[in-house]
Amino acid sequence: MTVFKEKTLRNRKKSGEVVINLTDVSKKYIITHDKPTLIEDVNRILRFEKKEEYWALENVNLKIHKGEKIGLFGANGAGKTTLLKIIARISSPTSGKVQTKGRIISLIDLAAGFHPDLTGQENIFLNGLVIGMSREEIRDKFNQIIDFAGIGDFVTAPLYTYSNGMKLRLGFSIAIHAKPNILLLDEVMSMGDRDFQEKSRQVMKKMFNNDVTLILVSHFVDHLKKYCNRLIEISK
Amino acid sequence: MFLKNKRRHWFDFLVAMTEKEIKARYKRATFGFLWIILNPILQMVVMGFVFQFFVPVSVDNYFLYLFAGLLPWNFFSQSLTKSTPAFFYERNLIKKAKFPRESIVLSIIFSNFFHFLVALLLLIGALIGDKLFFENYGLIQLVFYVSRMLWLFPALILLLFFTIGLSLFTSSLNVRFRDINFIIQLAVMLWFYATPVIYALNLLPEFLWPIFYLNPMTTIIELFHFALMGLPITLINFIWVAVILIIGIFYFGYRVFKKENVNFDDWL
Repeated sequence: MTVFKEKTLRNRKKSGEVVINLTDVSKKYIITHDKPTLIEDVNRILRFEKKEEYWALENVNLKIHKGEKIGLFGANGAGKTTLLKIIARISSPTSGKVQTKGRIISLIDLAAGFHPDLTGQENIFLNGLVIGMSREEIRDKFNQIIDFAGIGDFVTAPLYTYSNGMKLRLGFSIAIHAKPNILLLDEVMSMGDRDFQEKSRQVMKKMFNNDVTLILVSHFVDHLKKYCNRLIEISK
Repeated sequence: MFLKNKRRHWFDFLVAMTEKEIKARYKRATFGFLWIILNPILQMVVMGFVFQFFVPVSVDNYFLYLFAGLLPWNFFSQSLTKSTPAFFYERNLIKKAKFPRESIVLSIIFSNFFHFLVALLLLIGALIGDKLFFENYGLIQLVFYVSRMLWLFPALILLLFFTIGLSLFTSSLNVRFRDINFIIQLAVMLWFYATPVIYALNLLPEFLWPIFYLNPMTTIIELFHFALMGLPITLINFIWVAVILIIGIFYFGYRVFKKENVNFDDWL
């Protein structure tokens, strides 16, 4: 059974509209160890064994209102990332219902949609489309994205010439310019150099006062307290 | 409104992914796009040189016959072998972002299709030039010759649907059963010999012909031979077998993809 411990830090004016609604959501994974799936399937059928199962989430009920800033923390393996993936619809629940409203942008890995041989410019378009922006939006925001990421002349260079920090900055910059209704961030606040962290902190603060619904996953609870109005500890 | 935006985004995304496939492939290659045409030409020259001694195909130009069959075959085999492990190779993206995943397979197929069309247009140009300058075709003869090429359209559509359907099927299954990739590599190699690319169907004993038509690629390649070189289709009624098979495989592949798609994250 997945347990939520909740704590409300600051009260925001609630708009009342529920933008994320999970009802009885459970997620089961099948454990395969080292054997190929085909052999495992045949073996199981011959021996009448049941599949080895692991429940990452069990009967999760969660209502999140528009504009809420949620801080999610918990031990490793408690199901934080699984929960984010289910909300973002990267993964689908084994049972239960997931309802969401508006554009969801999930940053589980900032540089996931990048291709090393394409230039920064080409990658901005590609990654922007991956996270759900339209071509026009990307074109409009193009200069802002580059400015915020601070990659300068590198925009016409292929991505394999970028440092890791530059890639992360570019990924983060694209995401915040995508105007999400719901933003899911998984352990991404501690990246980049001090300058960039300061810049992203400003952005996060600005977000606190607008309508974006935010779910922030981190192990640093102090961090979460700064940006969130509702903390959720998730455990088995 | 929302649905329209979604469809628009789906299309934009597919175009961008296809563009990426095309651009990324020839980046930093000196000959660049020349490889599109260089590859099949070299293949044709080597194969033509060897096989003309073994396969007594009764056409004027065995090299052109080979080329007309090799182009669609290469498109099919390269698309299938490249897209089968595609979801597995793109696991980083699939596990971390929500996007229309079918575009991974479709972009590979469409970028190959683009290359295939470029090569095909060059071949058509060469064929028309040959008829015009070396065989002194008159205008009416030429119009007849070119209008027969309209048969390329149904051939291309059949080929595209067959490739997409089969690739969606194999790539979806390969997420869970990684043996599929090796099976496909082997199958494509054997499949080549079960398709009349280097030989012609009428060289085989007659009772084998219907069996060969169970392979949709036989019909497709014969359609290409007919449209480009005017060779007759061996069993014309059996085209419908291929059409029905291709529609069936496309539908089946799409269903399997839809069903497996929701579980990709669990198995990658």
